[in-house]
Amino acid sequence: MSKTVTIVRNVLEANERRAASLKDYFDGNKILCLNLMSSPGAGKTSLLERTLADLKGEFKMAVIEGDLQTDNDARRVAATGAQAVQVNTEGGCHLDSSMIQDAIAVLDMQGLDILFIENVGNLVCPAEFNLGEDHKVSILSVAEGDDKPEKYPLMFHLSSVMLLNKTDLLPYVDFSLEAASAHARKLNKDIEIFPVACRTQEGLEPWYAWLRTARAGKR
Amino acid sequence: MIEIIREERAKHGMERIVRVRVVNGALSGAVSDALAFGWECMTQEGEFKGVALDIEDAPLRVACGACGKEFEPEDNSYMPCPTCQEILGHDILSGKELYIEEIEADVPGDTDEAAASGSASCPRP
Repeated sequence: MSKTVTIVRNVLEANERRAASLKDYFDGNKILCLNLMSSPGAGKTSLLERTLADLKGEFKMAVIEGDLQTDNDARRVAATGAQAVQVNTEGGCHLDSSMIQDAIAVLDMQGLDILFIENVGNLVCPAEFNLGEDHKVSILSVAEGDDKPEKYPLMFHLSSVMLLNKTDLLPYVDFSLEAASAHARKLNKDIEIFPVACRTQEGLEPWYAWLRTARAGKR
Repeated sequence: MIEIIREERAKHGMERIVRVRVVNGALSGAVSDALAFGWECMTQEGEFKGVALDIEDAPLRVACGACGKEFEPEDNSYMPCPTCQEILGHDILSGKELYIEEIEADVPGDTDEAAASGSASCPRP
């Protein structure tokens, strides 16, 4: 005869535990940590290149680059002068908090203002794994279609910010900024939305203003 | 999941595990079919061979962003409030969860079980 034992334990609890200790570490050291998520090719690295170059006089910033393979992105980011460490997931479709613990062990965290984590390009799994970040930031490019927040609700629900990148391509694609915004706001009425074009450097100032406010909140 | 089940097995002195019950919310990001397939692969051989996995799909439940009415949208993309038709700004009440709810297993020496099987009067060493 068997017996049923009530458990009620989160399947991702091991990740949640490590994420909570990372959050304590970032809070204790007054580091603003942002988890950047998007599909492959939406412009996470381009956004970082611009942001790191434009704000390097204001903040000390570092980047954890998550990719399945190669250190191409870490080299692009490092070219701006910022510290960068590459995490290769060797096929894994998202970063988890143990990878972040390993990465910060090799970064110089002394006096750091902002740590960017560039997650693996994927609109699903990265949203499920907390990394101890202060905010999730999602990036959607106009070439992808304005219904993405509707198709991948968890990521946009959890994000504090959605950047709509590649607005310089708007004349050539059927993408409605209003529709994308409305889809994202269905389950996230407070999401901040910034249309930007990293290539032509348009629309970045509201994103920088948000970063400055978020950074000021960590002091 | 396997780590949690091992811990609970040790904690409760479980012998043979019969069944594991998981609750998967509509917005958890985990696909129940994929979870079931993964479980099937993991339980072909080894310590959990033949253990059944029951997955309860929990619906998305929201509170309307305009009037506060609580409802379960029929689909996850278009979700008008049944009372006021508002489609924006709903608060999620449940549907993001993914957890192991219970484990059915043989637990020797359990008092309830012993009483049920009529062996409560057996002297214990």
